[in-house]
Amino acid sequence: MSKVLKGVLFLALALGMVCSVYAGGKQEKAATDEPVYIALTAPITGDYAEYGNNFKRSVEMAIDKINAGGGVLGRKLAVLVGDSKGDPKESATLAQKWTSDPRIVAQIGDFTSTCCLAAQPIYDQAGMVQLSPTASHTKFAQGSKWSFSIVGTQAGEQPFIADYAYNKLGLRKIAVIHINNDWGVDTARYFTENFKKLGGTITAIENYFDGEKDFTAILTKLRASNPEALFMAAMYNDGASISNQRAKLGWNLPVIGPSSLYSEQLLKLGGDAVNNLYTVVSFFTDDPKPEIQSYVTEFQKRYGLKPNFHASLAYDAMMLLADAMKRAGSFDRDKIREALQATKDFPGLAGSITFTEKGDAIKQYTRVMVKNNKFELFDKR
Amino acid sequence: MFVQQLINGITQGSIFALLAISFAVIYGVLRLVNFATGATYMMGAFAGWLTVQYVSRNIFLAMLAGLITGWCIGYLIEKVAIKSLRGVARIASLICTIGFSIFMMEIATVIFGAETKAMPSFFNEKAFTLGEVSVVWYQLFLVGTAVTILLLLQVLIFKTKAGLAIRTVSLDFKTAGLMGINVDRTISLAFSLGGATAGIAGVLGSVYYNIVNPTMGNLQGLKSFSAAVFGGLTSIPGAILGGYLLAIVENFGVQIVSGGYRDIIGFVILVGFLLFRPRGLLGKKTSL
Repeated sequence: MSKVLKGVLFLALALGMVCSVYAGGKQEKAATDEPVYIALTAPITGDYAEYGNNFKRSVEMAIDKINAGGGVLGRKLAVLVGDSKGDPKESATLAQKWTSDPRIVAQIGDFTSTCCLAAQPIYDQAGMVQLSPTASHTKFAQGSKWSFSIVGTQAGEQPFIADYAYNKLGLRKIAVIHINNDWGVDTARYFTENFKKLGGTITAIENYFDGEKDFTAILTKLRASNPEALFMAAMYNDGASISNQRAKLGWNLPVIGPSSLYSEQLLKLGGDAVNNLYTVVSFFTDDPKPEIQSYVTEFQKRYGLKPNFHASLAYDAMMLLADAMKRAGSFDRDKIREALQATKDFPGLAGSITFTEKGDAIKQYTRVMVKNNKFELFDKR
Repeated sequence: MFVQQLINGITQGSIFALLAISFAVIYGVLRLVNFATGATYMMGAFAGWLTVQYVSRNIFLAMLAGLITGWCIGYLIEKVAIKSLRGVARIASLICTIGFSIFMMEIATVIFGAETKAMPSFFNEKAFTLGEVSVVWYQLFLVGTAVTILLLLQVLIFKTKAGLAIRTVSLDFKTAGLMGINVDRTISLAFSLGGATAGIAGVLGSVYYNIVNPTMGNLQGLKSFSAAVFGGLTSIPGAILGGYLLAIVENFGVQIVSGGYRDIIGFVILVGFLLFRPRGLLGKKTSL
């Protein structure tokens, strides 16, 4: 009896699979009321959850705006969100899932360079656009013709910061602390190279791992090397923790760092400890431009908090993708890639986007500093 | 500079010591590692944060909130993971504590959001400065509080009837039961005590680092577990010693080698002790 039952179940299952394959094949000529799917890979939970949630918020907001304006080529857009947890393995698994789903035309994500690099071969093989809002590792975009990054690489950002430190702030001796992942190593390397090229000295370099909460030992060690300033290749959460613990040690000096430090969270978590901090941005919430102000107010109205740099990049990524689809005049994965590659002077919130041949965006930066627990433009002083 | 690293180590060690005790109290009675300790630490920190944010900006009140939350979580874990699974293989309870840990982390993410919250500082003025060495009052407060709690626990375990029950159960719970000790209640008490110390540690740690977030307990939990193994899982003084020693060794490790190696040092100690001296520095030889 049970054997018969098993047999029937198996048959039913097999039949179901055949049907779904058939349905999948038919999807090509789907009715126009079916939305076009975009996949979003982001760390919704785990250590990087707040960044991932900002991705989700921004992409959803962008899609609502696009749909309210009639969608793309007469079709509505919809997003499928996958949680990579900041884990490269998860990110690669999601890439398998997205690329095997015929409804999905392109993918936005992931957050960390490490995750993006892990998923890259899968997108490359399947032929799907992998558009990361934030991956700034120099190896990422050039690794595949399907990979694009709009944040600008550290190779572009760090010479600007080194110049800021050496020529604008007049610093000569700097100690470096960086997170030990693909991004942190890259950032620290490009900064030290460029700072040395200008004639500066790096007094010491120390690194820490993901999830570290206690920086006092590292800071004590760096302090002994007697630098004039500290370069901090960290996300803003770690940046605030490092600053707090530095203040507790009674060690006061200017701090410089990459654009990842720019966030209201840094001010909230760091308090007085983050004053005298210098960084660069390509998106600034107090920028008077009307499109930026309307984005900031709407984001605040929807989610009750101010957007940051990473959020604005995710918004740009979605808008850019919609624009590429319009230019391609098609939802074909290959045509979308071609249109994306041809992007020139796309007006993003975080600066205009033009892709190099390799798929990296060329960005413009603005110098900012923290004064009285507020971000201010440096050059306006 | 060595003095500064020593001070850093002692401050960090206080938090490790409290968490290591939480492991040791529970391991002592049940021979079970409670892997939800890190998550309890995190929940305690959130309780403290809520108190400071919405009730009153008072660290003692925050610590009380952490204590109560930790106590309740410990009690709950015992009721669900231990009592209802007694008689089943011990591995079931162990897995269940891991499940609890993930559950609490997700719950905290859902309720409070994944964003890191700022915990205000207390007693953040300079206590004294000696050359380049500087200490804020809070560090002294943290170490003082930790030592007080550790002493209170010693008194509780070695001088009271409830403590006697805990010690008896930890020797042999079948015999203890035959001797008329309420084994269920003793195990429950040990879990609550362990939870409470982890909860207080959460508040103390979050004020020291000025941050609260759902994943803050992961690394702390793992490291203090290796501290507990280091000192001896069955011995409370051993756990305290392990906590302080681990933190101090780690801080000096950073000074001498490099910051990247600090976690390696902690976990090499864990593996080394498990291999060569599984009972730790002060642990008893167990017949298990």
